[in-house]
Amino acid sequence: MGATTGVTLKPPKKKIHSLRALQENLTGYAFVAPAVIIILVFGLFPIIYSVYMSLFNWRIRKGDFTGLVNYIKIFGDWGGFAIFIGGLGLLGLAYWLWTRAFKSNSNLMRILQIGAAVVLIVAGIIMSMGWGKMIAAGDEDFLNSLIVTIFYAVGTVPLQLAIGIMFAYLLYQKIRGKEVFRMIYFLPYVTPVVTTAVVFRTIFSSRATSLANILLSWFNAGPLKWLFEPKAMSEVFLGLKLDGIAAGPSLALGTIILFGIWSFFGYNTVIFLAGLGGIPKELYEAAEIDGANSWSAFKNVTIPLLSPVSFYLFLVSFIGTFKAFNHLYVMATPNAQNTVVTASVQIFDVFYAQNNFGYAASQSIVLFLIILGLTIAQNKILGERVFYG
Amino acid sequence: MVNPATGPDKIRSETNPVQKVRRGPRTGNKSLIYLVLIIGAVLSLIPFFWMVSTSLMTLGETINRKWLPAVPQITNYIQAWNEAKFAKYFWNSVIITGVTLVGLLTTSILAGYAFGRINFKGRNAIFAILLSTMMIPETITWLPNLMLVRGTIIPLPGGSWLNSLQALSVPFMANAFSIFLLKQFFAQIPNELWDAAQIDGANHFRFLTQICLPISKAPIMTVLLFGFIGSWNAFAWPLLVTTRETWRPLMVGLWTFVSEAGPETHLLMAGAVITLIPILVIYFLTQKQFTQGIATTGLKG
Repeated sequence: MGATTGVTLKPPKKKIHSLRALQENLTGYAFVAPAVIIILVFGLFPIIYSVYMSLFNWRIRKGDFTGLVNYIKIFGDWGGFAIFIGGLGLLGLAYWLWTRAFKSNSNLMRILQIGAAVVLIVAGIIMSMGWGKMIAAGDEDFLNSLIVTIFYAVGTVPLQLAIGIMFAYLLYQKIRGKEVFRMIYFLPYVTPVVTTAVVFRTIFSSRATSLANILLSWFNAGPLKWLFEPKAMSEVFLGLKLDGIAAGPSLALGTIILFGIWSFFGYNTVIFLAGLGGIPKELYEAAEIDGANSWSAFKNVTIPLLSPVSFYLFLVSFIGTFKAFNHLYVMATPNAQNTVVTASVQIFDVFYAQNNFGYAASQSIVLFLIILGLTIAQNKILGERVFYG
Repeated sequence: MVNPATGPDKIRSETNPVQKVRRGPRTGNKSLIYLVLIIGAVLSLIPFFWMVSTSLMTLGETINRKWLPAVPQITNYIQAWNEAKFAKYFWNSVIITGVTLVGLLTTSILAGYAFGRINFKGRNAIFAILLSTMMIPETITWLPNLMLVRGTIIPLPGGSWLNSLQALSVPFMANAFSIFLLKQFFAQIPNELWDAAQIDGANHFRFLTQICLPISKAPIMTVLLFGFIGSWNAFAWPLLVTTRETWRPLMVGLWTFVSEAGPETHLLMAGAVITLIPILVIYFLTQKQFTQGIATTGLKG
């Protein structure tokens, strides 16, 4: 590196400037080169190459160029896909109407809010229609894995936020051992997920002597199959016989959701604690003077003032669940069948076990576009809100 | 139901006159708070307790489901360490992580310095491209990178990199986050220092190594910490590129042991404890930095 500037040159005076600039440029490129090369090769190049692979019938070796056939295989026919995207557009419209509502006067606000609600319902109906068509004609395994991913996201994120905010609020009180509690709550998050997921596999195994089943027996309840149970929770606990999406997540997925909450609530607690530190003490004193008890102070001061943090955490965690792989892969038992296979696990399976490279590439592009869409939506939504985190 | 006309304050002053005297901001029922906090702590710790307890049991005890072993079986650890090859996986992980960290530190210090302190053409554009890679999901990178490492896309020196140290470490030797973190820090170093160094005849490299690095311990520690966690916890990628035991790291070793161990839960749990130890040691040593670092960035492998 030193060579670029080590030699002392004595050029004519007016040339000094451009020579200096050249030297700076070269040093800069030399310094960033190793990092840039590694990131371009292992981080950016895969996207371009995945797009390329997805256009071929590519098993282990490259086969014929097939164009968009792999994508058609995912979505079935373009009709269902187009209807679904249309519904998604309406969803965006509903959101737009809703935000507009709060910027207008009270009369228009009501109308816009009702309008947003109507559009939301219509969007829901259209999306489910489109989805039905796609499921019927497309790749059920992959589309189903997207539903599983959404089940997992919807199951873990709100609960881990609620639990996180509760523990943060309790820890924020004047109590002893604050540091110790915080350290303990953070522990599941710090430890490697593969390890804790392996431990959960034995705790929630279908054996009658597994820890989870021992705890059940304390309440005189019979053993459950937990991670090995493909039946929906609505069937296991309520005896309902529902089909498809309506049945909801399986007990195995429910157990994975439990793991997700256990593993991530401490992270939310720590972030919320930081957020609580940003709330002026005067507000609580004012609330106290107004006669608020601790619950109404929590409800009327803490929750609203934490809402930007909550919102941020919600979006980040939601996108995170779409990227997650390790614990989902470790806890996906064969017995639970496809009820626990999320999109990332499905993609891994398609190229790792089935060696269907081209098709896996097209699936990963679809997942990437979904995450990209979520990220753009996140930036847009967050950009419109005041955020002090 | 609270009568809105009287409001909650009236009710409270009637029902709980003691509270009026109370000073300081809100306190609920303290013992209730402690109860909830302790329940949370117990639930957080049960899996760890279960893991450690099981790892010290005999096979019979794991089947008959005791809460604690009659006599702690330290031999389980020796067995897991030697026979289940956790020793090999452990040292593999140590070497992989060490090599990765050296590479990561070198690339991100150089790049962070250049992005923060050197004015070169296209600096902002290159930096923006690097930052955009942070949102790319790992899922999409596996397949192309696997083919790259197998040497099917372009020929590699030494043929296939499967089951090699390079494959396990090189892809992790640079990331946008570390560069960003160091760039922020280096950019804050006053220009007067650089001017003075130039008068003394120093170039960028000397300025970086002799002036900047000694005052950058905090951000470098953060980069090391995240690099360590990322590399130690890595699972999907090592699973793909290690078909043999030669360079198999701990997490993959633990996973393969799940299928091999069958009913030998006590050995599996001993292996699980082994995978945790380095992370826990570092967590307890650097607790504050660890928690704050992760909390402010939301990063974890």
